[in-house]
Amino acid sequence: MLRFVLRRVLYALPSLFGLLMVTFLLVRIVPADPAAVLAGDNATPQQIAAIRHQYGFDRPLTEQLALYLNQVMRFDFGESQYSHRAVGFDLRQRLPATLELTLAALVIATVLGIPLGVVAGVFHNRWPDFVVRVLSITGIAIASFWIAIMLQLLFAMQLGWLPLRGEMSSGIDPPPVVTHSLILDSLFAGRWDVFGDALRHLVLPAVTLSLGGLATITRFTRAGVLETLQKDFVLYERAVGYPKRRLIWVYVLRNSVIAAVTQIGLLFGSFIAGAVVVESIFDWPGIGNYTVQAILTADYKVMLAATLLIGLVYTLVNILTDLVHAWLDPRLWEQP
Amino acid sequence: MRISRRQLGALASAAMLARATGLRAASPDVLVPGWDLPANLDPHQVLDVPAENCAFNLYDNLYRYEDNPPKLTPWLAESLTASPDGVEWQCTLRRGAKFHDGSEITADDVVYSFQRVLAIGKAPAAPFLPVLKSANISALDPQTVRFRLEKPYGPFQSAVPMVMIVNSRLLKAHEQNGDWAAGWLASNEAGSGSYKLVPQTYVPLEKVDMERFEDHFLGWQHNPHPIRRLEIRPTQVTSTRVLGLLNGSLDMTDTYLPVDQVDTIAQSGNAHVARNPTMRIFLIRMNNKKPPFDNVNFRKCFAHAFNYAGFIQEILKGNAQRDPTPLPNTLWGFPKDVAGYEYDLGKAKEYLAKAAAEGAPVKRAFEIHILQQLEQTTQAAQVFQSDLASLGLNVKIIGDTFPNLTTSAAKVETTPDMWIHWVSTYFVDPENWVGQMYDSQFHGTWKASSWYENPKVDELLRKARGLVEQNDRAPLYEEATRLIVADSPDIWIYNTIELCGIANRVQGYRFTPVGSGCEARWMSLAS
Repeated sequence: MLRFVLRRVLYALPSLFGLLMVTFLLVRIVPADPAAVLAGDNATPQQIAAIRHQYGFDRPLTEQLALYLNQVMRFDFGESQYSHRAVGFDLRQRLPATLELTLAALVIATVLGIPLGVVAGVFHNRWPDFVVRVLSITGIAIASFWIAIMLQLLFAMQLGWLPLRGEMSSGIDPPPVVTHSLILDSLFAGRWDVFGDALRHLVLPAVTLSLGGLATITRFTRAGVLETLQKDFVLYERAVGYPKRRLIWVYVLRNSVIAAVTQIGLLFGSFIAGAVVVESIFDWPGIGNYTVQAILTADYKVMLAATLLIGLVYTLVNILTDLVHAWLDPRLWEQP
Repeated sequence: MRISRRQLGALASAAMLARATGLRAASPDVLVPGWDLPANLDPHQVLDVPAENCAFNLYDNLYRYEDNPPKLTPWLAESLTASPDGVEWQCTLRRGAKFHDGSEITADDVVYSFQRVLAIGKAPAAPFLPVLKSANISALDPQTVRFRLEKPYGPFQSAVPMVMIVNSRLLKAHEQNGDWAAGWLASNEAGSGSYKLVPQTYVPLEKVDMERFEDHFLGWQHNPHPIRRLEIRPTQVTSTRVLGLLNGSLDMTDTYLPVDQVDTIAQSGNAHVARNPTMRIFLIRMNNKKPPFDNVNFRKCFAHAFNYAGFIQEILKGNAQRDPTPLPNTLWGFPKDVAGYEYDLGKAKEYLAKAAAEGAPVKRAFEIHILQQLEQTTQAAQVFQSDLASLGLNVKIIGDTFPNLTTSAAKVETTPDMWIHWVSTYFVDPENWVGQMYDSQFHGTWKASSWYENPKVDELLRKARGLVEQNDRAPLYEEATRLIVADSPDIWIYNTIELCGIANRVQGYRFTPVGSGCEARWMSLAS
């Protein structure tokens, strides 16, 4: 098992290095001059040139790359040209909110998607299957910004059950910062008022983000169940009168969700990408907004660090997915 | 992220249906505006509308623009007087004004603030760098500051409000490696303004809270129910901003409210829209050095091909004022006798024929760059593209960003054929518009990106810049503007009417074009 994990980690390192190199080169292809943006709206060419020199944008690309790699090796992502704060600190402050959102969306998609897929597979070509298929196609087809606005209109405006935007209501004192995750920090501080308020704020963005993934997991689970139901062992178990419910929810399910589990790993990446839109609509204080602002203002160090961080999280989740995969199918431990 | 007008219209209608039941309780003395936040909190590093939202509440300046049209009002200063030759300026400070840490504001703080602006060298420094050296700013006594300029500079007093006065003792304690405490002040404050920062609440671009400063030098007698706390919560998406205003979770939008939201908000019963003529001109630039735009007849063809009234009345629903010149029509120095160019495709065709006869390459394809995030630039480009197509001119619309375009504007070759943008009010002086847009010495900056050159205009603008009295300067700007309009280097469309959605509980909103009415000290909340 240890060899399996080590192998996966070693495979990931070149990917991360490649990501770093590609991102470093890509952000420099963009024609925007960060010195011009940094100098401000009213700046003269002399001011811009002085700032370009001050930040080293006029040095050779290889020199800039070597300097940056040296920093990254020391886990120093530099300072944002705009906020004048350490990029690492800014990301640490925001990543927990994005992880809260994506994990909540993943839980919703998984907890609902797998049972729905099983139901659809078991009731193949009957009305539960049709309903689930229509819902899953709808989930994939609908744009997240549209569903977000509809959910806001229904639950925040019409019914008034859930907050419209943000992470916490105004006028509430936040708990002391420990992890930068409002949910965890409120739990640590025993602030149940903040915990409840934060959970209520999480519902609409998490549901919005989960819908596409929910549909995907449902479809993959359904396909897996349909395939497994044709297997000989299912026929045998049925023939010997094995309880149907246990057969479906234990044996068929375990053999059916492997493809869905792979999808869950991949979905995490798409959830992080989708979080950019969802965070914008719900004013969720994650890395999505931060990264978009960095792109618009050509804040290179933030763009590089955010991309690397997202790549790292994605890689870790995929390693985790491989582990779950191997747990479901122990033959994989032995594979090279 | 922006969404289309149609989508906004649909959701606004739905929001209208929803408004009656979705209201949430608002805190009685907490104002929650949905304004944007600046890249950081240092008023000497960042100069834009979001920066003003913070700086005008956290800091004081020597003079401040108040009301509309903006009046230059003594603030920390009692007076600012110039020597007859316009080279030496002397500022007398009012007594008793205090910073948030309780220390008194002295001339040393003013000297340090101006020296810091010059040393950091970012946008607020632009009007001062060519005329003011750090060593020539001195404190004569605790209440008097002297500025000795390199040459006479008329816009000096107009530009003085761009410099916020910072607490020099506090900043010196946080300086690192001669950085003028730029790192520290980016996330903190050292001001004396009507509100104090609550530093632990600050997350760049996400949120910031401020508490009322009871010892502000102007006192609070004017406002019996001042706002205790300001919680600025930027909203990225227009729909969320409008819905937030309608359900009471936001008290104010920014002043870039799309026109199709005006009726929705006005009919909501919970909020209203403040319409304020301001000084932000909207224009289409043309690269005057790139053929065929180097041909005046070709430029005039384009100037006659834009449907000004159609754009303002149909697309903007009348929420703009036609302005035929590069100067805001509410500013001194604006030549009232200039009619400008009207929409007339017949005339456009005549000028096109003249340009073609003069050998201008009128058949080539043209590019117009729009600011992708700002839908209005797309709308203007599409209106223009359609009319130019009827003249047989092929225009391609290119999505772009402001950083890219400001970078491209550094060279003639990289400056696009045309691009669309606004010029906002950084200081209230013709220098902010015609001075920096059409004097050829500013070529290479985005403001002068039409690469226009006319020696007579240069002479007039430079002469106006060297005079102090407004009465002497105004005729020179008027004359320069007439010449510029005759040369048609750009297409000037309108002067903005700022639209701001405001909850009905907010009282005392006091608009001024510089800062867009963000000063919370004038506001109160009705119960």
